[in-house]
Amino acid sequence: MKNEFLRNWDTQLKKGLLPLFVLQALKKKECYGYELIQELKSSFGMEITEGTIYPLLIRLMKEGLLVHKWVEQSSGIPRKYYFISETGEMNFDEMKKNIEETLLKVN
Amino acid sequence: MKLLQLENSSAQRIYDDYIVRCKKSLKILSEEDKEDSLLEINSYIYEYLTANKENDKDAVENLLNILDRIGIPEETFKELIASKKISQAVKTFNPKVLMQALFLNIQNGFIYIILSILFLFLAAFPVLIVLKLIKPNDIGLFVGNHSFFFGFADSKNGTELLGNGFIPVSIIATAVIYFLILFILKTKRQINNTELLK
Repeated sequence: MKNEFLRNWDTQLKKGLLPLFVLQALKKKECYGYELIQELKSSFGMEITEGTIYPLLIRLMKEGLLVHKWVEQSSGIPRKYYFISETGEMNFDEMKKNIEETLLKVN
Repeated sequence: MKLLQLENSSAQRIYDDYIVRCKKSLKILSEEDKEDSLLEINSYIYEYLTANKENDKDAVENLLNILDRIGIPEETFKELIASKKISQAVKTFNPKVLMQALFLNIQNGFIYIILSILFLFLAAFPVLIVLKLIKPNDIGLFVGNHSFFFGFADSKNGTELLGNGFIPVSIIATAVIYFLILFILKTKRQINNTELLK
């Protein structure tokens, strides 16, 4: 069982890794906001709210890591699908490499 | 944007009220950006309500849950508004938009503080031009033996050099500072993009 320190550390770690998780999820398939939240929950066990993911997606779009397209739905409420850009792919590889290198130092 | 039609009247009132708050928070943005953000928030609400329709909670509780998850509109849109305003300022060349963009981004780095100071200079020149027309002898470029004043000064402080030329000089200075601010903003964005590609 995790003590309080470990729980806090785990939360902070996941928070820091969130952009990487988002990029990985979108590398796999393009998603709309709600779908991405579900994907992060099932793949990484992360409970993310819409209020957290929305500003993050805006930031990643602003940095050119993601792109989006609106897709009309029969309900009349369109979905905004996000997908990873070429810059996003490059950054994802770099971020993954950095983490792997950092983890190698932990022994 | 197609608004949601909820069966429960209380839920509908809460939803309508939330959308009004969102619109109010986003009013500073262009129509296109405003619509885009509202559509996205609306989609978050719709998808959540649809996915949670079958649970035992009532409609009001489900709606309150998703609104709680999205957060207070003023906070949720803060970053979006700050970033969109910069893009708008660089694109539109509108001084009002530029002022809003700098104000909204002042906490995002030292460069925005410098740019805001430059903007204050920018705002000062038109005021000096008007004052020059009202008090021509007190406004100008005063150069003394050990002093230098640009703006409002007593003629005892030195000889005024520009005369009526002060007005065109101020107009040129305003334009130079304005384009300098835009140039710095554009360069900063380009540097950010280049760093990302490295």
